[in-house]
Amino acid sequence: MNGGRVVRSGGAGTLVSVMAVAALAVVALPLVGLLRRVDWAGLPGALTTPEALSALRLSLVCSLAATAISVALGLPLAWVLARRRFPGRALVRGVVLLPLVLPPVVGGVALLSAFSRSGLVGRYLYDWFGVQLTFTTAGAVLAGAFVSLPFFVITAEAGLRGLDRRFEDAAATLGAGPAEVFGRVTLPLVAPSLAAGAVLAWARALGEFGATITFAGNIEGRTRTLPLAVYLLLDSDPEVAVGLSLVLLVVSLAVIVALRDRWSGELRSQR
Amino acid sequence: MTARRCVALLVAALLVGCSSTERSDATPTTSASGSSLRGELTVSAAASLTDVFAAIGEAFAEQHPAVTVRFNFGSSGQLAQQIAEGAPADVVAFADTTAMQVLDDAGLLAAPAEVFATNELVVVTPPGNPAQIATLADLADASTVALCVETAPCGRFSDQLLTAAGVEVEESSVTRGRDVRSTLAAVTRGDADAAIVYVSDAAAVGSRVEVVEVPEAVGIVASYPVAGLADSDVGGVATAFVRYVLSDEAQTLLRDAGFGPP
Repeated sequence: MNGGRVVRSGGAGTLVSVMAVAALAVVALPLVGLLRRVDWAGLPGALTTPEALSALRLSLVCSLAATAISVALGLPLAWVLARRRFPGRALVRGVVLLPLVLPPVVGGVALLSAFSRSGLVGRYLYDWFGVQLTFTTAGAVLAGAFVSLPFFVITAEAGLRGLDRRFEDAAATLGAGPAEVFGRVTLPLVAPSLAAGAVLAWARALGEFGATITFAGNIEGRTRTLPLAVYLLLDSDPEVAVGLSLVLLVVSLAVIVALRDRWSGELRSQR
Repeated sequence: MTARRCVALLVAALLVGCSSTERSDATPTTSASGSSLRGELTVSAAASLTDVFAAIGEAFAEQHPAVTVRFNFGSSGQLAQQIAEGAPADVVAFADTTAMQVLDDAGLLAAPAEVFATNELVVVTPPGNPAQIATLADLADASTVALCVETAPCGRFSDQLLTAAGVEVEESSVTRGRDVRSTLAAVTRGDADAAIVYVSDAAAVGSRVEVVEVPEAVGIVASYPVAGLADSDVGGVATAFVRYVLSDEAQTLLRDAGFGPP
């Protein structure tokens, strides 16, 4: 522990403790409230209603698809940002990270202006190929990818930056081509970062609401993912809404637990 | 000391004199309905009343300059539930007597509600009617139809209309909007093939939608009740507003907006 530091009792020490407890309460009380609201006996019934099953299935499909897109497109982008110097790199990184901070419903409006049938790109998609993204499952996936891509890129880029290049240099010296270096040296070394990034991206895509409801609409079986179902059922069937909220809470908790080393491991290495 | 006190008294007298002059100047003497009403009035109203109630509110405020009218628009069902759970409001105006009944049963109304307008349903499409919707039956073939959620009056009426006409639209083709204005937006943004909204909503957006008259809609009429709430701090103003909504002036505004007579 930290030897030689005097711990003050009373006064500022107590105040800090009280405020810390208050901070914890702000987050913990609503969660405890939710757990108390759940009708545990009726839970299995609530989760197997057609609305619930449809939302569960759709969320799983959309979030996994959005994550796949985020990883497939995000990894090359993270590579370029980590390894290549080019003018405007900071700007590119800024743009890519924007959905992290942008209010999700604003993201939805932005997606509409680009991809609706009268949108910047959407009009050509519709006129030339007959493809419409709004009000479709593909649209819900796109909304999910829009908000989750930055999560993957930021994590993957950090992983790539933190890599010791000497391993790659050594492999190249021993005769491996760039593809082989990437596949057999780089990838295994950054795999933990990529996995963490994928999990974060998946969790974000799963919880997406504002962009989805604005761009993909609220269609049962097509775009009504778990958060949209909760929003809708809150008025008409609160028991199912609370049950689905519990599912999302449990999933979120699992993500936190799975990534706990990331949150605390970095701090540990600073000691 | 004495001089300072004199100056202070003089300044105070000037201020009092000036302010009372301002007050009497600012109060218009044109209206006979008396400008003694003052306060902040919160009106919770159905989404379909958005534009017309804003106009009615403005006209009311002109007659009562010391009153500020604040509006809270949303789905009647949701508003009623929120108010029953304690959300603050002074006047409520809904698109459905069922929602008003919720408040009546809870004993929250100051006086029995009165119907001030009616509305009918209509099918709207984007300009040019890209999906060629001509009848209610065509909605069953459309790729995306926008309807209100079932907890909103327009949603219940739409489902009623479709059932009565024997048209079955697959739920997997229906995007549900939380109130009639967000349902309308699904069409004005261009990507839903059609929506079922009120005649007044179609009138509000004019050329941004095309109206498809469906004969079956004639049988379904939405009745709009208005009432003041019992525990309002500005009960007098609330009653005056309710009276105003029922007055000829407001009725003209409602008629112009596409609403039917009560």
